[in-house]
Amino acid sequence: MSDLKTNNAPHSSVVIPHFIFGGCSFLIVAILIILADTNILEAYFNSKIIAITHMAVLGWATMIVFGALYQLIPVVFETSLYSEKLAKITFWTSAVSVLYLTYSFWVSAFTTHLVYASVFMFISLFLFIINVILSYIKSEIKNISSKFIIASIFWLVITELVGTLIAFNFKFNFLSQIHLHYLKIHASLGTIGWFLSLIIGVGSTLIPMFLISHQLKKEKLVVSFVSINVGLLCLTLNWFIFSNSMLTIICWVVIVIGVISFMSFIYDSYKKRIRKKLDVGMQYTMLAMASIFMPILVSLILLLVFKIEYELLFRIATFYGFSIIFGFITTMILGQTYKTLPFIVWLEKYKNLVGKTKTPLPRELYSNKIAKIQFYFYVLSILSLGLGLILKNFIAIKIGSFSLLAVAILYNINVLKIIFHKVKIKDNE
Amino acid sequence: MNKEEVAQFELETLELLKNVMDPEIEINIVDLGLIYELYYDGNEKINIVMTFSTPACPLGETIKTDITETIKQKYPNFTTIIDVVFYPEWNTTMVSEAGKKVLGM
Repeated sequence: MSDLKTNNAPHSSVVIPHFIFGGCSFLIVAILIILADTNILEAYFNSKIIAITHMAVLGWATMIVFGALYQLIPVVFETSLYSEKLAKITFWTSAVSVLYLTYSFWVSAFTTHLVYASVFMFISLFLFIINVILSYIKSEIKNISSKFIIASIFWLVITELVGTLIAFNFKFNFLSQIHLHYLKIHASLGTIGWFLSLIIGVGSTLIPMFLISHQLKKEKLVVSFVSINVGLLCLTLNWFIFSNSMLTIICWVVIVIGVISFMSFIYDSYKKRIRKKLDVGMQYTMLAMASIFMPILVSLILLLVFKIEYELLFRIATFYGFSIIFGFITTMILGQTYKTLPFIVWLEKYKNLVGKTKTPLPRELYSNKIAKIQFYFYVLSILSLGLGLILKNFIAIKIGSFSLLAVAILYNINVLKIIFHKVKIKDNE
Repeated sequence: MNKEEVAQFELETLELLKNVMDPEIEINIVDLGLIYELYYDGNEKINIVMTFSTPACPLGETIKTDITETIKQKYPNFTTIIDVVFYPEWNTTMVSEAGKKVLGM
């Protein structure tokens, strides 16, 4: 008999706090966007935008990703998490570090608090990395999904190193080039290396599982893995050593081939799915998948168009970051929350009751109505904020930011509804 | 129990297992085609050979518990032995006509 992996799932006390903190961070992000006011329309290296970005990518996205990954390691690596205690310690250090880092940016404390905040953040991420790598070492399964996850961990280390170097440079000023050069590297490695690789690694297992599709061509994932990592590695070397613009374009093409190969895998999965109707979680997921083409298009514009004024260039750069963080990553997380969190809680509350009593379905743990309203508000917020950034229209920014606040509130209501679900016992007829 | 009675009992047990749902796919495990074999030894022991839609199915253990408990509710003294296999690999052709209807296939 095969060894079942359900027993490897960590205790919910490891996972749930990440979703609570992530949800709160999402709410803070929405509030900060409103508070940032017209600063949102300034250049992307504005301290308010950097504070919002770090709260979004670390407090919101990374925290949820940490929690989800602790739950998914048994599914993808087919082994238990190396240490649940270490995961709990990592949660607390990360939570404090994210808040401290965001505060440091928000008040522009570049030469004072930022150095300490970045060191705390580095240590927190390092603890997470150790836990994942040690889990991987004891795993017997080394499939393409797990390789993507390990690659994403590698890029997270590099991203963090560059980020910490930038923070130290504000105080000690030792780097040879201007901050914006390193900021570009830091942001690109974080979004492509960390988030994209991780989403591909986890998504290549979860999306076919949720769509219930089989007989997919895994070779496409191998092409994607090689292209993205080789492309990103060359790009990093180019940024640090060669600074050759033609090489940048070649690397961009190689990375895009990798992304398209993954998209083709997902498209196959979508076409071969046996459940035709998509639930709200998978609607978000498919929207996230489609939205991946926007940053590809915008990055192409940034690469090829030289003769535009700086003000417009900065606006396009801000839109590029927005399209990745909100268009792709946030959409993906919003969707996958509805696919994973109800199961985590359902398993915890009902695993000992199945067969003895009628149990609700995991999707019945949240309000589908709220999830749907949230989806419409989300589409409105993305469109309004996106148009507002591109057209420099503050009214569109206002509509978008208040819609995003509505999304964050509705999301948190559903997350809390799931987490604090009370067991419903009903005798078998 | 003679051969016919055993066969009838096995069919009834299979029908009983239609109460066991895959909580994600929201269809019972029999119509989903997860049960490969079910046989009764005529002496209060049921053997089941089954699979999951994916080897790392996070609900695998829960579905097994659900099967054991569902049988126990009706036949308290029975022993249920579940053997999980991944060959042949589960695929959509194993879904019953009723299951296909539910899934909109």
